[in-house]
This record gives sequence, C-alpha cells and structure tokens, in this order.
Amino acid sequence: MTATPESVVHPSSDAEVAEIMIDASREGVGIFPLSSGHRAHPVRGERPYLELSTTRLDGIVEYEPADLTLTARAGTSLATIDEALRAHGQWAPFDPPNVGERSIGGLAAVGDSGPLWMGYGELRNHVLGMTVVTGDGRMLSLGGRVVKNVAGYDLLKPMVGSRGSLAVVTSVCLRVYPEPSVDRVLLLRRDRLSDLVAAAHSVGTAPVMPVSSVLVDRTGVNESPALVIRLHGVEETVGADQASLEGHLGIVFEQAPSATALCTAVRDRGATSNVVLVASALPSALSEVIRALERLEPETIVADTYAARFRVGLSQADPEAVGNARASIERLGGTLRVARFPADGAEVGPTSEPSPAEKDLIIGIEKTFDPMGVLWPARSRR
Amino acid sequence: MTRPLAPDVVRGLTEIVGAANVITDPDRLLVYESDGLSAYRVSPRAVVLPGTSDEVAAVVTLLHLEGIEIVPRGAGTGLSGGALPTPDGVVVGTARMNRIIEIDPENRLARVQPGVINARLTEATQPYGLFYAPDPSSQSTCTLGGNVAENSGGPHCLKYGVTSRYVTGLTVVLAGGRIVKLGGAGRDSAGGLDLVGLFVGSEGCFGIATEIEVRLLPIAEGVRTLLGIFETMEAAGHAVTEIMGSGLLPAAVEIIDRATIEAVEASIFAAGYPTDAGAALVVEFDGTEAGLDLGADRAEKCCFEAGAREVRRATSEAERAALWKGRKKAFGAMGRIAPDLLVQDATVPRTKLPEVLARIAEIGERYDLKIANVFHAGDGNLHPNILFDRKNAEELDRVERASTEIMHLCVDAGGTITGEHGVGIDKRGYMSLVHNETELEMLRSVRAVFDPDRLFNRGKVLPDPLAET
Repeated sequence: MTATPESVVHPSSDAEVAEIMIDASREGVGIFPLSSGHRAHPVRGERPYLELSTTRLDGIVEYEPADLTLTARAGTSLATIDEALRAHGQWAPFDPPNVGERSIGGLAAVGDSGPLWMGYGELRNHVLGMTVVTGDGRMLSLGGRVVKNVAGYDLLKPMVGSRGSLAVVTSVCLRVYPEPSVDRVLLLRRDRLSDLVAAAHSVGTAPVMPVSSVLVDRTGVNESPALVIRLHGVEETVGADQASLEGHLGIVFEQAPSATALCTAVRDRGATSNVVLVASALPSALSEVIRALERLEPETIVADTYAARFRVGLSQADPEAVGNARASIERLGGTLRVARFPADGAEVGPTSEPSPAEKDLIIGIEKTFDPMGVLWPARSRR
Repeated sequence: MTRPLAPDVVRGLTEIVGAANVITDPDRLLVYESDGLSAYRVSPRAVVLPGTSDEVAAVVTLLHLEGIEIVPRGAGTGLSGGALPTPDGVVVGTARMNRIIEIDPENRLARVQPGVINARLTEATQPYGLFYAPDPSSQSTCTLGGNVAENSGGPHCLKYGVTSRYVTGLTVVLAGGRIVKLGGAGRDSAGGLDLVGLFVGSEGCFGIATEIEVRLLPIAEGVRTLLGIFETMEAAGHAVTEIMGSGLLPAAVEIIDRATIEAVEASIFAAGYPTDAGAALVVEFDGTEAGLDLGADRAEKCCFEAGAREVRRATSEAERAALWKGRKKAFGAMGRIAPDLLVQDATVPRTKLPEVLARIAEIGERYDLKIANVFHAGDGNLHPNILFDRKNAEELDRVERASTEIMHLCVDAGGTITGEHGVGIDKRGYMSLVHNETELEMLRSVRAVFDPDRLFNRGKVLPDPLAET
C-alpha cells in the first residue's frame, strides 16, 4: 500500500523543525524529510504523514577559505556552494548524479559520493559537522568545523547516508579542497563493456591512482562503451601519471576534449531512469557483476571500478530477475539495492539487507534518535 | 582498592585461554596499571589475553555473566587513559591476536587481527607496492585494534585522512559475547547505517574488534621533504597559511617550537636544528615524481616570503629521516628535561593557530610551567606538552589548571578537546565544553545500543560516571 502525504511543511529554522517534530510525535503523524525535491521513494503504509521540506533552510552560514571549511544550511544547493568555493579557487570533491541541483542536507542524508571518492575519500569523510533535529525534536550538533575531531562517539558516520531515518539534517559543515589546476579525462573505448574489464583491473592495481575510474556503457548517442579515467594535478604530474598508466596498461588513451562535459554525462547517466539499482562488490568481481546485471537488460550501466559500485538504469523491473541478480551478486560478497523506485509504485524485487545482527543494531540506533517512530515514512522501504 | 577475582572466575578464564594467558599476579599486573597517560594508575583484577575471536567471545560471555567490567587494551600506547583499568574490571588485551590474515593486492585490502602493529602492516604490504596510510607517531608499537578504537591520526593524515577513512569492515565482539560482522569492502553501507564508521573511535566502549579489514594505497612514487627554520613561531605559522592557501596539497605540515627544538638538540636525538630558532617547520610532499620539485619550490618560496632563515630540502631517504628526526623524537627528548610529560591534544581552525599559540605561551608563563609545542599545523591539531614532576603535588595542580585553561581556549577558538588521542579518562571532564546535556545523553543512548549493561570501558568518554552507572 502506497501512502500520499497530507501536506508539505516548510520550516525556516531549526527551532521550527523541532516544533514540527514535537507536534508530530504528539499527534502520531509521520514525517518524511525532503530536500531538493528530487523524487523520493514511494512511502509504504496507511498512516498519515507530512513531508518536511528543507528548502527554506537556505544559505551559506560560514566559509573560511584559509581553513578549507564551509558550513551551509541543509537546503542550500550544491550549485550555490560550488559558486562560492570556485570564487576562492576551491571546490568540494564529490560528484554524485545531478550534484548541482541537489541540496547539501539531502546529499549528506543520502551519503552519495560519486566516483571521485577514489581520489578524495567518501562524502562521509568530507562532512566535518552537522546540526540535526531528531525524531522527537531534540536539536543536536554533531562533529564541529575542524578537520580532526574525536570528542565522543562519531555519530556523524551513521547520520551520513541515513536517508532521513534518524533525524532531519538542518546544516552541514564540509571540508573543502583547493581546485586542481589540471583536470584531465582519458578514454578507452571498446565494443563491449566486458572488453574493458581487464583495463579497469589494471588501473586498479597501477602505481598511480587516478581520482576516478568509471566504466560506462555509452558516453553519448551512438557511442561505444568506455573506460573513463580522471587525473588531477598540475600539468607535469598529470602528464607523468598518464604516461605511467599507459605504460602499466600497455595502451594509449584518447584524451577527452571537454573534461567537464564528458564527466557530467557519465556522472548523470541513467540516474533518472524509471528504476535505478545500485550494486556493490569487490573490484575482483567486476566481470561477474557485469554479467549478472546484463541479464536484467538494463538501459544504462555505469560502474565506479575502484570499488565495483554499479548504477544500473532500467525502464522497468522484473522482480524475479532482480532477485536472481541479487542472489548472484550476494554470492560474490556484494549487495544489490534499489536507489530509485518506479514512479507507479510497482514492486522491484527483493534487495540486499543488512545481516540480522546489523539490523538489530540499526533498529536500536533508530529508536534512540526517533523514539516515537515519527520518521517511519523514510524507513518504509527498508 | 582492587578486589581479586573469585577463584571460579579465574578458573573459567583459564579454561578458555589457558593458564599462561590469565594474569593475576600483582607483580605482573604492574605493566597494565596505566597506558601512555602515566599520571593515572589503577591495578586491574586480572588481565586476559585471548588468541581468537571465539576466545574473546567466550571471555566476554563469562565476564558479562559475572557482571564484571571489561577494559579492552591494545598496545597501551594511548595518551588519554582509554586503556586505564578500573578497580572492578578485567583487562582484555589483544596482544596475542597479531596475525595478518590476508593481503589482497587485487582489491587493495588487508584483513588483520587487532594486535597487528601499525607499522608491520605497511612493511608486509610494501612488496606489493602498497601501504596503510594512517601513521600515528607511535606506529612502531601501537596496534590496529587500538587505532580503530581511537580513530587514530598521524602526521600524514593531512593528505590521507584518519583511520575511519580506511576501515571497510569489522568483526566485533559485543556484550554477551555476540560475534557480529559489520560492513565489508564489497558491501554498500548506503543501504543501512554506517555501523563500521560508528564503531571506529568508540574507544572500547562498544565492544572489541577482533578482525579488521582495511583499504591500502599504492606507495607514492617519490617524496620531497623541506625543513624551514624560522626566527619566530608567528613567521612559521604565516608560512603554513601561505602554503595551505596556495592550492598545494602537502602530505604533512608539522611544526615544533623553540622549547621542543632545545629539548631535542640537548638529547641523544639531536637532529641539527639551530637551537636559537623560534620554530622549525617540516613540510612533505609525495606523489608523482614529476610534480614534487614544483610543489617543494612553491612551498620553499612561501617559507622565505614568511621570513624563513633557511630552508633545507631532502632528496634521499637518509636526508629525509634526518629532517624528520627532530619532529619524530620530540616526545622522547622531552623525557630528559622533566620526569613527566602531559601530551595534550586539541584541534582549532587552522587560521586560529597563531592566536591560540600566543595564548598557550601566556598560560604557561602564568602557571610557571614549561610548555613545549609539537603540532600537526596543516590541520590545526595542537599538542601542547606540559613538562612536570608528578611527585610535586603543587606543580601537578598547576598542570591541571593550565590544561583546563588550554581546553577552554581551544573550544572558544572554534575547536575541540581532542583531535586524535580520544577522550578516555583524561578528557571526560571537558566533554561538556563541546556537547550539551542532550548530546551527551544521545551518546550514552547510542552506546547502550551496543552495550546496554555498560560492561565495556565503563567510566570512559562520558563525563559523569554516576550518570553512566
């Protein structure tokens, strides 16, 4: 049963968020936090709930370029943050799909890093601090605005990627980086995706580590599958890194004329398909995972080869086929989950779950942050 | 007063791990009375040294049934008293679990037991061209289990990040002896909650990690190390701001002050730093050989523009070791000047460093204490070290008051009470400077999810032991 929200509330301060959560706890109304308004998953259940939009929690709170830290309220778009950073020759090195349109609070809640994590670490490593409001309206400040901080248990880690299941994120402090002076994108094309796996493996064991390495089924209309490698640095290092990689792989890369356009195309490819699956495995299992996913006859496949994380776009899902793919991938030690559910609410199929012991801990943590269970709509797909 | 364990408990422990691995003899327990924070000493009721996950689980089960507190211990090099025994507790040490289970070069992963020494992992992975990035100063003795518990940092964390960035999976033993696998490199944590990230840095209060999966990195092609000598700390601080603001991404940026230089040069660790200098700055770049001189040239220019008296550059491993020597041996050298050393740890936003350092000097003068500063300047992580004699009660009191002022100072500057050493027993009293009561209550509740009976490391991290018990 899919439920629809009663209405959308737009608080403009942390105190208002807290008030809404306290009221919802008292009235037994569910809350589904939304950020940039990207399509969230359909909510399963029959009880009433409200959507809580963070769009009015907007703006950069603090930016000290010399400290390489920036704090923004949850509804601030990544485009706004990027503009402020670029004005000082800095940037935030994560590249999930459609990053510019997303809000920092939403992105932190989803915990989506994009393939640049190979060179810079995952999003969870860039989030230095957060303010959140728990399910029962407690306002918490987690972490801080310094790069190293071990004062107390690290509640930021489970918060990043919790998808609104623990609390409403109201602001985020990020660690930012100096912009690289050269951003070079290298391409290797083959007729089939599977023909690129050996090269992807070689990149993964090369002495030089690119900032990202992505396998993509197509980079544009009528184009063939490609391995897309990104190098950051100064002219001298990027040239030397390219030569070192080419020597290691025994091939010559094609250099993409426009790094930005190509990276954007790869970054966003298939992310808004009707159904999006995310598969994860060890890099050594790349070939087998590709085989398992190709049986789903996907529209798109994009794979971050550093960790063998796949994004697969489907026009529609056959639950039995998805179940088979999941079983194959789990046998390889990996996982398969749904990142985007079909608009019509159709079933996608069984996806990977945490182990029973992990689930117990997760439920315990959820109860700690949301004792009244107000955030159930955000958890309804778990 | 420490109570001896009941004979049947000792017998039970002996059956699990063997008589050689249960220590109850008071003389042998002496070694375990403290960790790197030697100002505190408590004798445990016993020390147990299990050899496998199953043995850890059986020991935890037994102690849980008896309601006996457990103090997990790695190598005991921690500086916040995290492994300090409690009078009612039994220390469970991981020293025997020192096996590297697997090195997987294809996936750039390693699986290790918690008692593996940090530096040994890098040695073992070197033949594959790989290394383990977090490098705490104690890396030649500290263990990965301890690093996981403390979320340890190190000089090169400026570029590479701290322990939590590298831990991909854990096997942990929780209260009641449950063995639980968390995460794993092939698994996508975005489907659930990042339990691995939460466990890392839990300071032994959630359970004991018995198997650790970590990510490895390829060894950089080359390294360049610079040593800048400055007349004043202010000038060195200015050079750091210039370097970090210039778009360079050094692997490490470390400063030692005049008091530390004097201590080092007067010791057997003399590194050839000029004793009349106000500060010495070590800057290191690693990566592709072709870009290293370029980065080093630019950093050198920043140093001279900030008023450096001289800048030395290492091009060989021997020269590099010489430049680092003063920094790496700083703590050892201080032992020569005073019998006791309180290694403080706090982080401030980097731009606040000059102001905070000036205030620390002023605090030292006011309390008539010698404070020597060694710090990770690139990420604002300070180590003001207070030299003292523990036997002098009046001086110890001044040390404690000066320490408290330094903590307040760092928090007021927008920083925090610990950057990499953890809260342990030492910083419990300062937790309320950075967390309000609601947040502290949340920390207690999250801990209770893992350890509802507060069996593990009771009294650590959280400020009010009464509220915890």
